[in-house]
Amino acid sequence: MNGTLGHTGVLLAFAAAVVGTVVLLVALVRPRPGGLRAARIYAPLILLGGVVAVVAMQRALITHDFSLTYVADNNSRSTPLLYSITGMWSALAGSILLWGIILGIYVTAMVWRFRSRADDQLVAWATLVMYVVCAFFFGLMLGPADPFTHVSGAIPTNGLGPNVLLQDNPLVLFHPPMLYLGLVGFTVPFAFAVASLVTGRVDEDWQGETRRWTLFAWTFLTIGIVLGAWWSYQVLGWGGFWAWDPVENASLMPWLVGTAYLHSVMVQQRRGLLRVWNLSLVIATFSLTILGTFLTRSGVIQSVHSFSASSIGPLLLGFFGVVLAVGVGLIAWRGDRLRSPGGIDSPLSREGAFLANNLLFVLFTFVVLLGTVFPLLYEAVNSGAQVAVGAPYFNRLVIPIGLGLLFLMAVAPALPWRKSSADVMRDRLAVPAALGVVVVVGCVIGGIHGIEPLLAFGLGAFAAASAGRALVLSVRGAWRSARGVGASTARAILAGWRGFVGRANGGMVVHIGVVFIAVGLTAATAFGQRGTLVLAHGESGTFAGHTVEFVGTRVVRTPSNISQQALLRIDGGAVFTPAISQFGTGTQAVGTPAIDSSVTSDVYLTINSIPAKGGSWTFGVVVQPLVMWLWVGGALIVVGSILSAVPGRRRRPTDPVSAPLGAVAPPVVPEPELAPAPEREPVGAGEAP
Amino acid sequence: MTGVLPPETTPVPPQAQSTRRRHTARWAAVAVLVVAAGLIAVLATRPPADVSEVQSPLVGQQAPPVRGLTVDGKAFALTRPPGTFVVLNFFASWCEPCQTEGPELVRFAFEHQQTGDARLVSVVFDDTTAAARSYQATLGATWPTLADPRGVIALGYGVRAPPSTFLIAPDGRVVAYIVAPVTASDLDGLIARAKATGA
Repeated sequence: MNGTLGHTGVLLAFAAAVVGTVVLLVALVRPRPGGLRAARIYAPLILLGGVVAVVAMQRALITHDFSLTYVADNNSRSTPLLYSITGMWSALAGSILLWGIILGIYVTAMVWRFRSRADDQLVAWATLVMYVVCAFFFGLMLGPADPFTHVSGAIPTNGLGPNVLLQDNPLVLFHPPMLYLGLVGFTVPFAFAVASLVTGRVDEDWQGETRRWTLFAWTFLTIGIVLGAWWSYQVLGWGGFWAWDPVENASLMPWLVGTAYLHSVMVQQRRGLLRVWNLSLVIATFSLTILGTFLTRSGVIQSVHSFSASSIGPLLLGFFGVVLAVGVGLIAWRGDRLRSPGGIDSPLSREGAFLANNLLFVLFTFVVLLGTVFPLLYEAVNSGAQVAVGAPYFNRLVIPIGLGLLFLMAVAPALPWRKSSADVMRDRLAVPAALGVVVVVGCVIGGIHGIEPLLAFGLGAFAAASAGRALVLSVRGAWRSARGVGASTARAILAGWRGFVGRANGGMVVHIGVVFIAVGLTAATAFGQRGTLVLAHGESGTFAGHTVEFVGTRVVRTPSNISQQALLRIDGGAVFTPAISQFGTGTQAVGTPAIDSSVTSDVYLTINSIPAKGGSWTFGVVVQPLVMWLWVGGALIVVGSILSAVPGRRRRPTDPVSAPLGAVAPPVVPEPELAPAPEREPVGAGEAP
Repeated sequence: MTGVLPPETTPVPPQAQSTRRRHTARWAAVAVLVVAAGLIAVLATRPPADVSEVQSPLVGQQAPPVRGLTVDGKAFALTRPPGTFVVLNFFASWCEPCQTEGPELVRFAFEHQQTGDARLVSVVFDDTTAAARSYQATLGATWPTLADPRGVIALGYGVRAPPSTFLIAPDGRVVAYIVAPVTASDLDGLIARAKATGA
């Protein structure tokens, strides 16, 4: 029943995608009135098919319908409701289903968003690309990644249950959907990039649209990555949050290229430059999501969280090849004709800084990609010999790039467009730079050694101060200009708020979030300490300045697991309970760490071994400073992204021009009408006379 | 993929319109396609799960303790540091890939019995002690096999599925983590690499 329903849904979505593609192609080749419009209906049909399939899968999981192989492998009678639901993305076939439904949501949202422009060739081509991608993913579910296959033989009375690590923390409900909302979301910008290359229209209007979809996807990808790091910290018991695992890298690479695009697209919107480059970045972002999907699902790279090997690999690799060939082929065909006239006037300008930023992000991506596939390349060249690329490689190459990006983050917001002078820079950067120096001196006095942490903290303070300065100036500017025209205090506060929201300031809040993450990462990795404490009941021990007292033990039983907890009092304060749980069907145990988290430092406790009877327990203790900054930084990035989606202050024609340089609007670019807010100079209106 | 970098050269100079640079995007695209085709060819020809060594935060760290009762009921504890290379293998009798690697482990153990530079320790993972005992007996395993009934050792090493194998250096550091069936020559290769890098 569930199987039939599910197959029906997948088939409906696949058929709708294929028919939609054909109808659009025909209408594009032989134009007739309303032809392109008629193809819109297939998007909601794809979504409907996806919803039917998801409903069938959820119903099967929640009712423990073990006639489906997928359910028998990823669910058991004792699995709680929450982890039955998350079972849908606990294994390969179900994760493709999640991919499919999200793709269905995006294609429907896109068609709805452009419903009034459905006759536009560019929209039609973009929709066509979306349909092809949908056809591919739902096609996978008809073939090698079928989530609805029946068990062969008798229906089992119980199932294996999800991987025990996936039923230990509710974050698993959020992390994969967020990640997929991000990864899948990059399909829309890709579709528009292909469409603008095919139609030869690279006007900034479409870049504005693409930017907004990219920002949306990027925000969710950021949330997904941060939640993944948080999950790994909460669940895996080694006190870490990032391991340069291929699966992590697979989500990081599109994020990096997407970040580069979000910056360089501003150069295009503002100055009309870097058009082909931006299209390349969008195509690269999507290609990397497909490559990442291949790497994590084909079994060519073993990873601690790769899915089990399957025959889906060659199909994904083939799709990656097609995506890349189409994207790069189109650029080869059209690229030289679409190039923007003119160039960057001075390297010491906002666009120059964005260009440097882009080069660093692309280099970063290349480093991660090389580290991820290098073992494969090495093995192919030296037949059979194996090599592993570990954290030292990544750290050595990524730290300098990261420091370079922090430096750009500090300097770029103060740079005006077109060109700058030493006087302007001195004026705008003196205070932030001084703050950076103060932080470095403070750190040295405080006993922090090591060139990399000092640089990270100093540049971090510099960048945060630079972003803070931009925020303060624009709020103050908006407030003052409101007061200047005689507005009441309430109206001026509203104006100040309007000055605060909007794209540029959202970006600055994101920058501050990134600084938090950079500082947290540096502190936790450079100054973390890990060790063990062997304690008998009632004993206490000290590690890295923290006292841990072993107060007692407790056994907690739930229908799905038996959990053995240790009660540990940290520094004479609250009691924390690391645990080891055993789940129903297996004897496999999973540890649950307990974390005493504070703004300055985390104490992370795990049970390493329980004696047979009596005797002393061994506890793992990890003390890392500033771990919480990572999560705060992640939250700030989300807040900043939301801010930059809120329309900011609209500049009335009577308002004073924001800054002297703002008046030099490039003649080639009309101010895009769609842009939510004209971008303000970092020196807000407040500095205008 | 990141090879899309080359088109970057296009927008920089103000005189980019000159005929000399007209085909930058085309040549850059061709270069990217050639590189990508090479990458795809390599990826397409890799047999699945060929690279079995994975990154783990444990690699480079001191090995977590390995002690407990063996499947025969004897107490066992791995000395720290162990003094020789130790291959720590997590297995289950029901696990099909474990059956593939079983004979290879026996071969490895036999070869290194003579030289004495490496030894094997197995740990039962998600299996009953009785089943594991008879499995090891059938295989002809002479090395210690720990029962680990509560999965404590597996937990310390972050093992999620059998077979998982760790190579521990004589100084007690974990130097490799493999999550696929191993062969004797794989293990010899890893030991040679560890020796070369000064373990």
